[in-house]
Amino acid sequence: MPPTPTSKPKRIEDRDSPLIRSIQAGDADGFYALVRRYQQPLFNFGLRMCGHAADAEDMVQDTFLNVFRYLQDFRFESQFKNWLYRIAASTCIKRRRRSQYAPEPELSLDDFLPGDENAVAGETPPWAREPLERVLDQELAEKLQEAIVALPEKYRLVLVLRDLEGFSTEAAAQILNLTPTNVKVRLHRARLFVRDQLKDYFRHDRPAPAA
Amino acid sequence: MTDPHRPPEPHHAHCRELFARLSEYLDRELDEIQCREIEGHLNACPPCQACFETLERTVALCRQMPSRPVSGDFARRLREAVARMGAAAGAGRTS
Ligand SMILES: [Zn+2]
Repeated sequence: MPPTPTSKPKRIEDRDSPLIRSIQAGDADGFYALVRRYQQPLFNFGLRMCGHAADAEDMVQDTFLNVFRYLQDFRFESQFKNWLYRIAASTCIKRRRRSQYAPEPELSLDDFLPGDENAVAGETPPWAREPLERVLDQELAEKLQEAIVALPEKYRLVLVLRDLEGFSTEAAAQILNLTPTNVKVRLHRARLFVRDQLKDYFRHDRPAPAA
Repeated sequence: MTDPHRPPEPHHAHCRELFARLSEYLDRELDEIQCREIEGHLNACPPCQACFETLERTVALCRQMPSRPVSGDFARRLREAVARMGAAAGAGRTS
């Protein structure tokens, strides 16, 4: 006989579980440990999403406030880290909605199809060929950050979670309440958008490195 | 290349179809048959190969983005905020 489907979701144990259980049981100091554990990753996430340290700090503080408020409701049905980033992502979205109301543009694959942009379309440019550490300097890091912030938010969230924070497709889907297919589609367009910004930068603003 | 005067047309339907799956290929989210199909095309089509390499580099650069440490001042403000939350929650429970 096949096993009867159970309505009880399985509990997920991860490195945070003991600490979370302890906080839920009333360990007041546990929350400080949780903040110490996640303040740096959340600050990075906020910085990538907002582009400014002050906004990122506000986002981190709001996120911990919401975690404090709702931690009793956490049921270990997902990894704690995914639940935490879900709160952080919705905090980012709420903050933006307060500051701007313009609808966000959609990115279409057709916008990024390689055209006849230059005569050597078949040649990989130096910035994609040379050793990474020679290419990535302070100025490029700033350009890259600008390109990420220029992304419409729903694409930016996916790119930041996947390519900067290192979440899997499945985890990003859980955090953003999307299907994995949706995550993949948005990620691809986001990457193509950033790639186009980098191509522009290397074509116009940066002299070719000496051979 | 067999005929240098006729490079593959970038808008070729096959290129377009491949273009849509490059990230999944990069992330190893395709099955083996699709991977081999893409590899075959990349080897034969320099524009798609260049397209793939710039995309791959873009992702590598994102992964290598330097992070900025949280300032000591912010860490202190965060601890104070947590203390206020705890005090408020404690007050809520006892009242
Ligand atoms: Zn092609």
